[in-house]
Amino acid sequence: MRRTTRYALLPASWGAAGPGASALLAIPSLVAFGIAALPSLVLGDEPAATPKDLFIRAEQLHVRPGRVLERGMLWVHEGQIVAVGTDIKLPEGAVVIEGKVVCAGFIDSWSAFALEPNAQFDDRAGPATRAVDAVDSYVDVRHERALLAAGITSVRLQPTVGARAGGVGAVLRLHPSKSFAETTVIADACSATAIGVSRGDGRALDVFERVSAVDRVIGAIADGHAYLVETNEYRHELADWEKKIADKQKELDDGFKKAKKDREKAQTEAKDKGNEFKDKEYKEDKKPKAPRFDEEKEIYARIAAGELPLVVEVHRALELRALLAGTKRFDRLRLVVAGASEAAQCAELLAERRIPVIVWPVPMGVQRAPEYRGASLALAAELDHAGIEVLLGSGAMDPLASRDLPLLAALAVGHGLPRETALAALTTRPARVFDVADKLGTLELGRSADVLVLDGDPFAATTSVRYVLSAGELVVGEVKK
Amino acid sequence: MLSFLLAAAALAPANAPAAHGADTFTLKAAHLRLYGNKVVDGGVVKVEKGKVTYAGDAKGAGELGPDVIEHAGWASAGLVAARTWSGLGGEGLEPKRPFTAEARAADVVALGHADFARARAEGITTMVVALSPANVASGITTVVKTDGETTLARDGHLQLGLSSQALRTNRFPTSYTAAIELIEAELAKPTGVWERVSEGKLSVYLDALSRDEIQRAVALASEHKLTGALLRAPLAGELAGEIKKAGLAVVVGPFGPGEEARVLASVAALGRERVPVAFGLESPTSPEALLRVSAAMCVRAGLDPAQAWEGLTTTAASVAGVGARVGKLAAGCDADIVLWSGDPLQLTSKVEGVFIGGVQHESKGGAGHGGAH
Repeated sequence: MRRTTRYALLPASWGAAGPGASALLAIPSLVAFGIAALPSLVLGDEPAATPKDLFIRAEQLHVRPGRVLERGMLWVHEGQIVAVGTDIKLPEGAVVIEGKVVCAGFIDSWSAFALEPNAQFDDRAGPATRAVDAVDSYVDVRHERALLAAGITSVRLQPTVGARAGGVGAVLRLHPSKSFAETTVIADACSATAIGVSRGDGRALDVFERVSAVDRVIGAIADGHAYLVETNEYRHELADWEKKIADKQKELDDGFKKAKKDREKAQTEAKDKGNEFKDKEYKEDKKPKAPRFDEEKEIYARIAAGELPLVVEVHRALELRALLAGTKRFDRLRLVVAGASEAAQCAELLAERRIPVIVWPVPMGVQRAPEYRGASLALAAELDHAGIEVLLGSGAMDPLASRDLPLLAALAVGHGLPRETALAALTTRPARVFDVADKLGTLELGRSADVLVLDGDPFAATTSVRYVLSAGELVVGEVKK
Repeated sequence: MLSFLLAAAALAPANAPAAHGADTFTLKAAHLRLYGNKVVDGGVVKVEKGKVTYAGDAKGAGELGPDVIEHAGWASAGLVAARTWSGLGGEGLEPKRPFTAEARAADVVALGHADFARARAEGITTMVVALSPANVASGITTVVKTDGETTLARDGHLQLGLSSQALRTNRFPTSYTAAIELIEAELAKPTGVWERVSEGKLSVYLDALSRDEIQRAVALASEHKLTGALLRAPLAGELAGEIKKAGLAVVVGPFGPGEEARVLASVAALGRERVPVAFGLESPTSPEALLRVSAAMCVRAGLDPAQAWEGLTTTAASVAGVGARVGKLAAGCDADIVLWSGDPLQLTSKVEGVFIGGVQHESKGGAGHGGAH
């Protein structure tokens, strides 16, 4: 509702996009006065409500990359996938939709969509800055629809592109009429940082700055690790102390009557002897002191513990090698490398450490920033060939770039990345890396349905997206009930 | 699967003309994209002395001759970029004088520049080398091939800048009105290049950005019966009717990831109104690969695929004024042929060989070198 209101308030000159836009312009004042009882009017551009039972038929149904059902069927009941197969009886009253290719909605592993514009390049952020706080809940719904119409149903968001600290990233589903609070799949999907990227503050970093940037990241992880150890020690000490106190308490409780009697006796004796009575003094154990709370170290402690993956945007082989060498000792660290223009030079090392790489397959030309000098559209294919888990992302340089991710993936395919792998790079792999594999990335039973119904090859320019379901609801395409 | 049966060429060093050398041969391709959406399966192109003598199905080809190249993928005419700054090395920029109508891109362009080799590796065989949009009359474009030697037209178009970028606060003219007045004064008593423009012998490239600039450019063209194309004109689609009436084409792009939806929708609208649309580049500032990316993005935004392909070839060639020689595979045209791994309109396809005037310049191993992406 809130975002739809914003849509209605956009100036007329802005858009020719939505057919409902001009009709909506007539009522902004009503909406502005808070008359919210006009959902049918305000939501006039919304797709028809999703039928209770949707039955999807496909020439090729990609349950997950590597598992393709020819002439496959998918039954979505109240937004949940309740049957997948090749021989499912058409449920009574179900609405049937068809397409050539049906697959899970795409996830952009590296997006800037919906980020409040200032947050996108604000390098004052720290490691604890959260993407969910940088999301613009009044983002233009037409942009969101453009992404959905291109098949992007979820994005991994990260504020402050190329900054020293990218904060805590989130994975959000896209849905034009739901708030991001409702569609947040995971609010702490990862943390991110960048090494040697000049685009954040617009200056090309010299070699000393770049090397010290590697040290900074490694140092932060080490600090996080130390903080983790300290916190754990404190937790144990505190538990010990609490136990000790409890034991003492019990001892006192148990010996209460005797102690009382003894005290009274001592009091009487003192009185008899004319002495002053003094209560027995107990020396209390010192309570262990908690480590000083540090929100940044908290995040890096979670990184060091492997609880949060750390996405590092790094391009040059020199820095990448230094990063790999410096992080080797943190055996629980879940490192993800992004950009990685020269990663082919350290492919073996990355493969050995099983570090996933988010590749940004975009044509760059000769006048590129220095860190991209080694970039090539064949990078995704080369890394895949070396056995590295490749993810594809739209690079977070432009909020709308996520829309073009399928075409960027097509370029990677054109330069040798197998189609199946490209599909995994847009679905199952980001879901796994960002800990949402139980919710996104496949069309398996029991899932809330994020489904694309396409009329052809997902990577062809000529393919159109017929229907999209996000969180079980139809957000692109209309069906007759 | 996409085996490219050119043993001799595959062994040849990248970028060097293949041992094949001879500009007379027959090409057999699994799929031949002749023009628009016209695709022939199992097609044949016969080339004699650098010219196409036949392009079509195998049946009508007659005898194939001794030199037969077989390609298991697709073949098409070489792509045409209707605008670029390639090979100028910055010489296209004249920041001080507003009128440099007699400046010729042909005089400064370096045909052997690496810019053209990169374009060729992306399947582009013809380019219109244009000038900076920072002058009211920027100069004369030139139409060249990317083979490092061929100029198709020394004088392509007179390029006029009608955008705010051609106006400065520190030199005359400072306003649209003054710029138009000055152009009209030249056209009233035309001499030199203006004479050829007013007689319709030389077409114009009218650079415009905002909606009002586009309207002004269209009005100027109608008033003086100028032929040619609008350059850039991102929202031209919203004025498609007027542009069509004026008989102008539009050179759009380059577009990259994240381009405004409204701009892409505008290109689709031009297509619906049948306004000729051609794709352009700003290389070396923009990557050469964006030519096909731009077309693919417009197709995703609703442009008819046939029109998109024409915008990369036939329409671009006619906008460049060389439609009779390049831009399609047909008898009488130059043998500028690109071999692809798949349908050239799809970004999943890659260049696997380039012939210009029947001479091979790129082979499978060589395509894509030089950081051309």
